[in-house]
Formats: sequence, C-alpha cells, structure tokens
Amino acid sequence: MIELRNVTKKFGSFTAVNSLTLQVKAGEFFGFLGPNGAGKTTTIKMMAGLFSPTSGEIVINGHDVVKDHLAAKQTIAYVPDQPFLYDKLTGREFLYFVGGLYKMARGVLHKRIEELIGHFEIGEWVDKRTEDYSQGMRQRITIAAAMIHDPKTLIIDEPMIGLDPRSAKIVRDTLKEQSQKGVSIFMSTHSLPVAEELCDRIGIIKNGKLVFCDTQDKLQVYKQQYDGKFESVFLELTK
Amino acid sequence: MTHLTHILKYKVISFVKSTFDLRFVTIARGLGSLMLFGGFAVGAYVLSNEITRFILEQTRTGLYLYHRFISMMLFVFFTAVNLGNIIVSYSTLYKSSEVSYLFTKPVSYSNIFVLKFLDNFLYSSTTLFLVAFTVLLGYGSYFGYPWYFFAGVMLFVLVPFMFLSACFAVLVLMAIMKITSRWGFRRVMGLLFGVYFVFIYLFFKFSNPIELVEEVNRYYPNIDQYLSQMTPGFLSYLPNHWVSEFLFYVARGDLARALPFAGILLGVTFGAFVIVLLVANRFYYLSWLVSLEVQASKSAPYSMMKTSFFDFRNRSVFSPQIEVLLKKEFFSFLREPSQWIHLLVMVILTIIFVMSIGNLNLRLRVTEIQLMTYLVLFGFAGFLSCSLSLRFVFPMISLEGQAFWSVLSAPLDRQKLYLTKFLLGFFIVFVLAELVAIAVNIPFVRLSAGRPLLLYFGMYSAFWISLSIVAINLGFGGYFPSFNEKNPIRVSSTQGATLTFLVSLVYLVTVVAIVILPLTRYLESLFIFRQFNLSSIVQPGTLLAVVSTSLVGFSAYVGLKSLQRDF
Repeated sequence: MIELRNVTKKFGSFTAVNSLTLQVKAGEFFGFLGPNGAGKTTTIKMMAGLFSPTSGEIVINGHDVVKDHLAAKQTIAYVPDQPFLYDKLTGREFLYFVGGLYKMARGVLHKRIEELIGHFEIGEWVDKRTEDYSQGMRQRITIAAAMIHDPKTLIIDEPMIGLDPRSAKIVRDTLKEQSQKGVSIFMSTHSLPVAEELCDRIGIIKNGKLVFCDTQDKLQVYKQQYDGKFESVFLELTK
Repeated sequence: MTHLTHILKYKVISFVKSTFDLRFVTIARGLGSLMLFGGFAVGAYVLSNEITRFILEQTRTGLYLYHRFISMMLFVFFTAVNLGNIIVSYSTLYKSSEVSYLFTKPVSYSNIFVLKFLDNFLYSSTTLFLVAFTVLLGYGSYFGYPWYFFAGVMLFVLVPFMFLSACFAVLVLMAIMKITSRWGFRRVMGLLFGVYFVFIYLFFKFSNPIELVEEVNRYYPNIDQYLSQMTPGFLSYLPNHWVSEFLFYVARGDLARALPFAGILLGVTFGAFVIVLLVANRFYYLSWLVSLEVQASKSAPYSMMKTSFFDFRNRSVFSPQIEVLLKKEFFSFLREPSQWIHLLVMVILTIIFVMSIGNLNLRLRVTEIQLMTYLVLFGFAGFLSCSLSLRFVFPMISLEGQAFWSVLSAPLDRQKLYLTKFLLGFFIVFVLAELVAIAVNIPFVRLSAGRPLLLYFGMYSAFWISLSIVAINLGFGGYFPSFNEKNPIRVSSTQGATLTFLVSLVYLVTVVAIVILPLTRYLESLFIFRQFNLSSIVQPGTLLAVVSTSLVGFSAYVGLKSLQRDF
C-alpha cells in the first residue's frame, strides 16, 4: 500500500511536485501519467528514496520512506526510467548483487535467479557484461532484478521503453500477474494504451499537481464526453 | 579547420555556461575554491622558495647538483604525464561517445583527433599547470627573476615540455592500437610494460638519485665540482635535461647557453606534434576501428573466477550486503584496464623506490643534511599516499555512476556502504604507505646504530597519514561526485579532485610541521649528543593523532551527508 500525504518537492524556487496526495491500495495497479516535466519521475524518485521530499509524508506498506527507509525499501522494488547497470558486471552478477542487497538466503537466491532468467528469456546473454547490452536487454535485467525479492510494492518508471514486442508482452504479463498476486504497482508511463490496458486507476499530473485521479470506469465516462478516445481526455487535461 | 573552430566554439560556450553559473551556491563554491587554490598557490610558492633557499644556502649543495635533482624530478614528472596521458587518451580518443558521434558527421578524422587530443591535454593538465607555475614562482623569485621570466618559462619551456610528453603518449597509444590488431591486447600491454620498466630502470641506473645522495654524503662539502664530471652522455637527449639545463644556465646568468636548450625543446615539441598529426591522419580512424574489435572480443560470455571466492554465487563469512558490495568493487576494478594497469604501475614504481631507498647508505652526520633527506623522503611517502588516494579513492563514489540507483533504492544503510569503500581504499593505501615508511626509515635506523625509534614513529605517522588522506578523498569524492563520468582518471582530474588534492597537501604540510621539531632534536641527539626525551616525540605524536582524527571525522561527515543528497 502506498500513501502520499501533501508531498511537495522543490528544487530552489521551482516546485516540481505540489502538495500531492494519493493512495494506492494493496493489489491495485495505478497508472501515473503526465506530460514531460510534469513531476512523474520526481514523485517516483521520492517514493524510491532517491529524492527527499521538501514537505509531506510518503508511507509505503506502513513505513515512512524518510524516517524508516530501510524497512520501507525492503518491501519496495524500483525500476528507473533509464535502466543504468554496473557496466563491468554480467547480467547474472547484477542479479546476485541486488539479491545480496536485499539479504536473500543463498539457496533461495539461486533458485529465484534461475526462475527469472527463464521467465524473462535472458539466458542467452545473461553471462555477458552489461556494457554490451542493448537498451531492451538492460530493461529486462532491471525488471528481473526488481522482482528478485518478491516485493509488496512495485514502483516503475516507463517500463516499456526500448522493449521489442515480445519483451513488452512478457513485461505486461508479468506486471498483471504481480498485481493479481496482491502487489501494489505504481507505474509511470507515456503510453496511454498501456495504461488503459493494465491499470485499475489512473492519475494525471500536470505542473506538479494531480489534475485527474480516478478508476477505469470513470475514465470511460470522461472519454464519452470527448470523442471516445483517452488521448483526447489526456490532451484536454494537460492543455 | 572550419569544422575544428566550429566545434571548439561550442565547446567553449558549453564550458563558459557551466563554469560561470550565477547561482548563489555556485558562486559561493567558486569563491571557496578560489580561496583554497589561492592558499595552495601561496603555500607552494613559499615552500618551493624555502626549499631552494635551504638547499642552496643551508646545505651548500650548489647550483649544479640542485639542478640535477630538478632534472630527476622533471623526469618523474614527464613519465607521470606520459603514462597518465596514455591511459586517459584511450578513453578520450577511443571510448568517448562524442568521437562515435563525430565519426558519423562529415568532419575529417584529423580534426576529430586534434579536438580530442587538446581536450585531453587541457583537461588532465590544468592542475599540473597550476602546480608547475607556483613552484616555478617560488624557485625563480629566490633568484630574483623579473615577471617576464615566469611567463616566458611557462609558455616556452614548461607547457611545451608537458605537451611533448602528451604527444609521445598518443603516439605510443596509436602504436599500441595498431599492433594490438596483430598481436592481441594482452601481449601488447605486456610489451609496453616491459619497455617502460627497462626505460625507467636505465634512467635511474645512469642517473640514480640514491647514488647522488650517497655521493653528497661522501664528498660533502665539495660536491658541486666533483659531480659536474659525472653527467652521463645519454641524459643530454632527454627533455627533462633540456629544461633543467636551461634553468641552470639562467641561474648562472648565462642566457646564451640557456636559450639553445629552450630552442631544442620547442623544436622537438613542434616536430613531435607534426608527427602526431601525420600519424593520426593516417592511422587514427583505423586504430579506432581496432579498438571496436578489441571491445567486441571482450563481449564473449564471462566465465572468469567462477569457482573462486569472488564468484557472486558463493558466500563467505561477510554479511550478504557487504559481500556483494566487495565483489562488485572487485570486478568493477579488475575489468577496467585503466584501473588495474594504473595501480600496477604505481605499485611497481613504489617497489622500485622501496628497494632503492632501503639500501641507501647515509654517512654524513650533519643534522641539516639528514633532516632534509628525511623530510624529502617523508614528503615523498606522503605524496604517494595523496596520489594513490586521489587516483583510486576519490573516484570511488563517482564510479557508482548512474547505476547507483540500485544501491540507493535498496534497504542498505548508507554508513555501511561508506565504511566498505573506506576500508577498501584504506587497505591499499595503508599497506603501501607502511612499506614506504619502513623503507624510508631503515637507512636512518642504520645511521643511528640500530635504534628503532624513528622507524616506529614513521610507521605510526604512516598509519595516521593514510587514514586521513583516504578519509579526505572518500569524503570529498562524495561531495564532488561526477556520476556521468565513467573514466576514473577524468574523475580524478576534476576541479573537486584538485581541491581535494590541495587539502591533502595542506594536511601533509601540517604533518611535516608537527614532526620537524622532534625530528631535529632526535638527529641532534645522534650527531651532537644532545639529550633526547621520549616526551619530545609523544607530544607531537598525540597532536598528529588529534589532528588526523578530527579530519577523518569531518571528512566522514561530509561524505555521509553527500550520500543523503538527491540522486
């Protein structure tokens, strides 16, 4: 479960996120949309502990990400918008590295990594150094690494960038599966069809403020007020 | 040429915009840097001036011998610039994404080469320019030279000297890349090591500073006349000799004999640059293609050390978090040639130094001479710790790069991360510093008929020095991170790195100031049989511990705070 209470993030005089309040329940798939520079990545980075909020509270699975960050992070998985990896490690080594950071037991980790390698179909190149990977390969390793410790909450920034159709399908199916298992998913994306397909609820942020936050059913109603397309609703709200 | 000026124009614009940022924080930081640089410049000036005065007046070493020492220092400087440039140029000329981008544009290969070569030279030499200039100021003002002497020597002697070293570096690098296509990367690197090792060995065999110190000890005070007969002929072909001869004849007021040396240096530098351009025009692009092949050949699946302790699948006594952090550091270091090659070079040079110095036979029982010898060796040992830390510890946090998200978003206590890095850096620097401390003190133990006090104090100082220097470099490395820079040598050449190096040097000077008095008293107790109380060494020892501990605490605070910043 994710709770953001009046969260604000300022960079100097610029307010990137302005009094954002929202809640994502356990097992809910939340899509976070908005134009470039709206504050999506800033919000996500605050949730992942990479930015500290200027004010407000972020509570994930009952733990404040600032005051009780280790406990909060133990339950989170974060996938950044750019899948940067340690260049000199192989994909498999990176998976072991992340597993170690979550203090996973050796036997469990071995088994989990083999499962993930099979699931994401990365066995062919998982033992090459990540510096030789394409964007899509990096993305798949990053998502696999996020799944390694069976997180309760997934925070994903633009998961489909650089993925070929087959990989994109694997990722979509994985996310659906996780959501059905009761994992809360907070996903930022620019892809309106992906958001429509996967998310239970959608939030749209503009200039750091939430301008829309409702369920798929309500979204359908809004769509009918325009030309039946989500794109039109999005463009109108972010005008 | 139009392309070159066009690209340079935008590089200058980019530099100016990033440098002259008018935000309060940037201005405050800039002013702080300026004060520190200014302080360092004044310090280096005073130090160089006082050393010149001490050597020429107190120890009566003489102009000729002093310039022989300068020549040796310049040789070390030339070799360091050369080796540094080979390693940095590999990244700049062959691995830079800017080069890949420019190769897709209608820009000539030679223009791209000149652009990256100058970029590399200016980027990696800024600090050295500052150091060289302030040392020159201190040296020259002792002789009362006019202002235009300094400008002239800097522009027409020292800059060409460094430029020549950089030219040799890229020539060697292009040759390496060319030969690599036939012989393979490892064999070529082995050959290069061999050649450099033989070259350095030959230089020090024919121009041995240890021998020089021993000769001073043997023939003091009539050393100048004696040693003037000893210059080996081959030295006259080396650029460091041209610079030192130029300075020597200027110091003697014989400009007519000095100027030809500057002329030779300028001519050779110009010639070397022309050769570099011709070679680059013919081979740069071809050698760049070779570098791609070398990269591609490395992309075979990795099976190295699969059964060793370092295999990620194995577990040890460490906690899982510490273990994976250690293994990640190990592989990141071992699989980056610029890291292990540079460390290997530094370790080899240190071993050569340790072996040479351990056999030093000091005979002269004159306090000033032996104090100077000790301080030079002590200073060198400290300088080695500073250089090692700057090169390997300072970039540790920056080298996490953009992949740092994976650590920062994990349930890992940042103190644990910081401590792991600190202990790793400290281990390397401490071992080498202790080795050097023992080697430096052995001749003095012999001189004092086996009394080990100085050895113990040296080892004690080496502990505190390595602890503090590593702490400064890690803490400040975190405060001035360059997460977008993948090349560790470039990280060690940033403005933040320069400031850190200066802070380290200030600390080193403080340590010298702390130890100089007890050291003098101890040497006096040996040579003129003055009484020496143990308290004379306990007090400065305690002061050293207090100063170092404060610095370690402050640096750790700075480093840990910087890890809390937004990423």
